[in-house]
Order: sequence, then C-alpha cells, then structure tokens
Amino acid sequence: MTGVTTRAARRRMRRFDNPWTNPKLFCGAGLLLAIVALGLLGRLLWDLDLVFTGSAPLKLPPIGFENLRGQPGVPAHPIGTDGSGRDMLALIAIGAPNTLFVGFLASLIGMGAGIVLGFTAGFVGGRTDDTIRVLSDVMITIPPLLILVVFQSAFGDVSLTIMALLIAGFAWQSPTRLIRAQVLSMKQSGYVMMARLSGAPTHHIMFREMLPNLVPYLFGSFIANVTTSIVTAVGLEVLGLGPQRIPTLGRTIYDAISAGALIQNLWWWWGIPTVLLAVMFIGLLLVNLGLDEISNPRLRRLGR
Amino acid sequence: MAIRQTATLASALALLATGALAQDVTREDTVIFDLDRTIKDPRNFNWMTPGTKRMHGAHQAMWEPLFILNYGTGELDPWLGTAITANDAGDVWTLELRDGVEWSDGEAFDADDVVFTVNLAMSNEEISSREAATVRAQVASVEKIDDLTVRFTLNAPNPRFAVENFGVRIFGSFLIMPQHVWDGQDPATFAFYPPIGTGPYTYTSGATNRMIWDLNDGWWGAKTGFMDLPEPKRLIWLESGGAESRAQLMATNQMDAAQNVSVGAYEAIRAQNPNIIAWYDDYPYASADPCARQLEINTTVPPWDNPAMRRAVNHIIDRSQIVNVAVEGATVPSETMFVQYGSMAPYIDAVKAAGHGLSPTADTAAGQALIEAQGYTMGSDGIYERNGEDLTVRIHVNSASTEYTRTIDVIVEQLNRAGVNASSVPVENGVFWGEVLPFGAYEMSYSWLSCGSVNEPWTSMSRYTVKDVVPVGERSPGFNNTSRWNSEAAAMYSEIVDRMGTMALDDPATPEMVAEAYRYLAEEMPFIPLVQSAKLLPLNTTYWKGWPSSENYYNHPFFWWNHTHQIIHNLVKAN
Repeated sequence: MTGVTTRAARRRMRRFDNPWTNPKLFCGAGLLLAIVALGLLGRLLWDLDLVFTGSAPLKLPPIGFENLRGQPGVPAHPIGTDGSGRDMLALIAIGAPNTLFVGFLASLIGMGAGIVLGFTAGFVGGRTDDTIRVLSDVMITIPPLLILVVFQSAFGDVSLTIMALLIAGFAWQSPTRLIRAQVLSMKQSGYVMMARLSGAPTHHIMFREMLPNLVPYLFGSFIANVTTSIVTAVGLEVLGLGPQRIPTLGRTIYDAISAGALIQNLWWWWGIPTVLLAVMFIGLLLVNLGLDEISNPRLRRLGR
Repeated sequence: MAIRQTATLASALALLATGALAQDVTREDTVIFDLDRTIKDPRNFNWMTPGTKRMHGAHQAMWEPLFILNYGTGELDPWLGTAITANDAGDVWTLELRDGVEWSDGEAFDADDVVFTVNLAMSNEEISSREAATVRAQVASVEKIDDLTVRFTLNAPNPRFAVENFGVRIFGSFLIMPQHVWDGQDPATFAFYPPIGTGPYTYTSGATNRMIWDLNDGWWGAKTGFMDLPEPKRLIWLESGGAESRAQLMATNQMDAAQNVSVGAYEAIRAQNPNIIAWYDDYPYASADPCARQLEINTTVPPWDNPAMRRAVNHIIDRSQIVNVAVEGATVPSETMFVQYGSMAPYIDAVKAAGHGLSPTADTAAGQALIEAQGYTMGSDGIYERNGEDLTVRIHVNSASTEYTRTIDVIVEQLNRAGVNASSVPVENGVFWGEVLPFGAYEMSYSWLSCGSVNEPWTSMSRYTVKDVVPVGERSPGFNNTSRWNSEAAAMYSEIVDRMGTMALDDPATPEMVAEAYRYLAEEMPFIPLVQSAKLLPLNTTYWKGWPSSENYYNHPFFWWNHTHQIIHNLVKAN
C-alpha cells in the first residue's frame, strides 16, 4: 500500500521535473560538443599548418599500425597522414567543426527564412499566403542535390559560407510549411484573438505572442534541418564539389576514394572521417529525440 | 497451330543465335584495355574533328599507321608504308606503299587513298585535329606517281616530315581514310559510321563507356604474309572510371591493361594479384612518358601578361615537392622544357650551360621580390594586393586523373603560402581539351603542350612560335602556342626556331641555337616546365603475355597510342 503510494507520488513528482534534464538531450549535446571541443583543442594544442598538402610524409598509419609499405605510425602524426601529405589529426580538427558549421549555418538561415515566411503566410493569409505556399510547394519537389551539383560546378571553388547559403536555399521550404500549419491553428486560440482585439500590431502578435509557444517545436525542427543540411553538404563534398583548400570531412572522403585508398588499405584516411560523421549524426539524432520529448510531454510518459 | 509453332521455333532459334554470338568470344580470347575518358559520341569516327574518336581502339585496332617510330631503336618501323625518302634539299618526299593492303570491305588501299586524304586535310581549314593541321601547314602539293608511290612537295625543307606526320612519334599519326567512303562527304561534319580500316579488327559495337572490336579473319596482312593474325579474338576498350575501380578491375582480372595508377595503388594491386607487371619490376616501376608536364600561362591576361610575374611563379614552384607528393617519387623534376631522354641530352646540356636550367627547389624570396617590384604589398591575410585588389589566379586542371589534380593542389598550396591567392578549377576532360585550352579560356592550366621532341629539339620549340598566335576565343592551330605568347622576345625566339627547322637533324650548330632561343623562353616564361612524366601502367599476365617492358623493349607501353598495333601483334595467350 505504502509502496504504491510512494511510486504514484514519485510519478507525480516526476511530471513536474524539469523537462530539459533529458538524458538523450544530454548525450546528444555531449557528442556535438565533443566535436566542437576537438576543433577548439586542436586549434590550441596542435600545429594546424600540417593540414596543408605536402606538409607531412605520405600515407603514414596511426600509431600502432603499419601501412602496406611496412612503415609504422609515428608520434608526430598520431592518427596518420593522407595520400597528399596532410596530417589526419589537423585535418579532422579543422574539417569536423567545418562540416558542423556548414550544417548549422545553412539550417539557421533556412529556419530564419522559414519562420518569417511561415508566420507571414499563416497569419496574413490571402494572396501572400497563396504566393508563399505555392513557392514552397514547388521548391519542395525539386531534389536539392541535383540543383546544387550544377550550381557548385558552375561556381568552382566556393567558400564554406557560400556553400551554406546555397544549401539554405533548399532548407526553408519544410519549416515554412510546418510553421504555417501551426500558425493557422494557433490563430484561432483565445490569446491571439485577445491580442488582435486589443489592437496589437501584426508583427507583435506573430513574434511576441505566438513565437514563444513554438520554441521547443522550432528547436526540434532546427536540429532535423541541421542533419539534412549536413547530409547535403557531405553529399556535395564527397562528389568533389564544395570548397577545395578548406578541409571538410566529405572532401577528405572524396580525396580518399579518388586516390584509391580502399585498395591500398589506407583505412584511416576514409575511416576516421566516416566515424566522425556517424558520431555527428548520432549526436544530432539524440538531441532531436530529446527535444521531441520536451515539446511533446506524452512521449515523455510513454518512455517511462 | 503450325504457324504458331514455326514462329516459336524461329524465335527460339533467333535467341539461340544471338546468345551464341554474344558468348562466342571467351574471356581467354579477349583483351580488355582501360579507357580514361568517356566517349561523348560513340557513333562518330571522324578523327579529323575534336573529341574521343581514336584512342578507344580505332587507331589501335582498326586504322593502321604508315610507319611506327620505335622508341627503342629510334628507327621508323614500316607498316602500311615500306619506305619514305627525301631529295637532297629535303622538300620533296617520296612514299612507297605496301602491296596487297586492303580495306576491311575488300577494296584495295593504294596511293589514291593517300592523295585523297592529304588533299582533304589541305583544302579544309575547319578540320582541326593536330595531325591534319600539321599536314596542312607543311605540304604544298601531293601527287600519285603510281598505285604504290606518292610524292609530297613541301612548302619548306623539313628533315622531320616523315616521323612528324606518319611515324606515330607522339600519340597519333596522319591516318589515311578510304576514298571510296569519304568521297563527296563534308569532312567537317561526316561521321564515318560504321567505320572501316585496314587493321586486323573491325568495329563491332560501341557505347559511351566502351568500344568492342572483333578479329577480321580475312585481314590482308595474314594473306600477304606481312604478319600472322593476332591471337586475341576480341579487343575491348572499357572506361574504368578512376583509380579505385581501375585497381579493383586489375586485381580481379577483369582488365588486362590499365591507365596510370599511383605507386601505392600499384603495390596494392600487385599484393592482391601477383600476375600484374609494369615497365620495371622494381620501384619506381613506371616508364618515362615523352610529354613533360608544365604550367601553361595565358600571356594575354593581366597581371600574368607581365613576364616578371610569370618568372615569379617559376621561382615559387618547388618541383621536388611535386615529385614527392603528387607522383610519390616516381619521376624527376624537369631541368628544361624537354623530355629527359638520352637523345635529348646535348640540347638540355646546352640550355643548362647557358644558365637557363630550372631549379628543382623553390626560391620563394626571389619570387616574392619580383612580385613586390611590380607594386604589390603583402596584406594582413598573407596575400599580396595592389590598389586594394588581391593577387589571385585560377588554374584550370583536367579532372580525369589524380596525377593532374594533385599536382595542381600542390602548386596551389605553394602559391598560397607565398602570397598568391591561387585556386584550382577542375574541369571535365572533354571541356578541358575542347574549350578551355584551345580557346585560351584560362589564366593558367596544367598541360603538356610543349610535348613533341624525342630526339631533336625543334618540334617542341616550334610549338610556341608567333605564327600560331590567335586571339583569345579563337582555336589555336593544333594546340600550338595556346599561351598566345606574342611579344618582341617571342618574335626573336620564333626567328631562331624557324631557322633551326630547315636545318638537318644532326647539324652541329643546333645545340647552340637551342640555347640562344631558350634565352627568350627563360626570360618570358610563356609556360613553366614542371616535372617529367612517368606512366605507371599495370599490365595483366593472367590471360596474355608479351606486354612491352624494359626487358621486352619492342616499343613503349602507351596502349592509347597509334603504335598499339605492335603490342597486339606481340600478345600471346598465357595458357
């Protein structure tokens, strides 16, 4: 009897727990922060000039391994070097945060555009709504990789920021549609009606009254968008498009494939960036799941 | 009922027949060669127009050359021609043809075909292949003496006429076309499909990624006793698509001859498949290619129209690093523009003695001093600027091979570290050769367009004379002087080179004249020689033996050249 009571009480207590102390969110954020830390610590502790072509011996394996020529790994290049004489540690210390950066920037711009357009469409309605809706519906059917491949081949060597901007051009449609749907349903709620009646200006209602209610939802959507943007960016890089002198994980994989790293058993060249990408995606997935549970309390209860 | 049965039977028979045809040739009877590019138009065999129309087997299996330069002996091996001789002045040449040569459709190959094809090249300005352009520039008239004798009268004496046009010195030769097929066609647009030739193989099928050729049992050479029929029943040129798939195809015996791979990739292939061989048994394995690599500079685009800026780039480039990083030590830095064959040594030595030799290492400070003398100052970002504008350069590079892209990656890195904001522009093979290089649509690019000389200096040097200068946007004749080098120094250079062109090959004054002309090249650097080229071609002895190698040196192993007829005749089944 007492046991049942305490369990029920504990359950009741838990319902008032801070939803942000979510283990999935923590693990995911931890993984992402680890990659950021790799970049920060790398910049502090490692000679990043080693990232340039020809600054180290070619094809050295990580410490404790031997390459096909029988050369052992050396402490000067603890996780090996690639086929153009670039130090792998320097490469990932710069490349991994770069890849994350492109994803975040593209998603940030895409979400920003999505929020403005989604709110405008949903709240203002009429012709504006029609225009934005048709535009995003049309754009959503276009496969982004196809267009971006053409764009980037035409641009030649692009910077990370331009690449992020290009990707952002394909990252605003889904947020626009989703936010518009949310706004349409929210528009009918009491507090919005109240604000309208009291004569608050449109932008005030949109961004002061409605937006805060969408924050957890927007976060989840943002993280999902980051994942998509990184997938697109890596897809382009693995095809050899994207920036050339600035290291990214995708570019490293492209270099490895085009230089025949598989048959030469240079597993560290393509393996390490692949593992890092996997870590990045798992981190993003966990953060996304965590945010889902925060914005949707039912999921939280199901989980326990 | 009866009709239906017959129909079924007939279709079954037809199926059997096609099945039998398709499987007629076993892997043991087939040689599969690597093709490093896409065939844009597999139904066009007009080799006189630009595009991949020869190296997919057409000039290795179907069209035969008149002569083949033997890189081992330095002699012209006779093929469709038996002899070619000049008069004392060197401006009238007489060609003797082999008796009994037939086209694969049974028509005789004779002097009429030669005269017809040469006239075709001479009278059509719009056909642009290098070989046709060279003949057009050199020949004044051509006439048939009898069925097997042709006489050429040249515009000027040319002691190299035979080897230059008909000897497969570099890549191709002037190919003779059948008059009975080409007569009345517009040579600029004629597709020549289906193609015929005099070679022992005929065209079977083609697509953008492969070409298949089957043995012609009625080949003239076997009938007349010129040579036995070659052993392979089928030849395939297959686009392998990159180092990784090339290596896998070789390791698993799905290919018999592969294009250039890196030293590391070759060692990995051989670890998996001990039947793979290359030119040398041991490091560096590769054979020397006659086309030394260079950085081509468009001399009409500022600031690179200034010779001092071009010399600065020359100082900044570290050739040893290119050798070590881009080609993994398999070659050596260039000392001059010439290929470093023993036969070229007198000319290379003369250039070096005159003080125009190239340094294997960089002298960045000297390069930077030259740049600063032009009014550039180093910006806070480590890049030179003048009047608020960064010093930048875009280097076009053919993306078909990692050798090309990696070399340019290294140079881009060297330039950036010295303060030049360089970036590479990888472009597809067809675009690179079809649009970028000939029309001057670049600032700098990676090429080997001074290629040509193998035993005398004139051919390479003659490719940068002022007579071949055309404005940007027009096609450079035969890829000559794509740098559009047209200064006063270029005129002086051209004058000496033109004089050299009329002299005998072994004239003792030549080395000195080379050094004299080279002074202008060294001063103005319309192109910057980089490194010698080495080709590491993995060859598979699982099904076929008799590949060329340093021990079995009947000729070089570049199986995309017109001389590949010799390789195919030397192949014997391994079992």
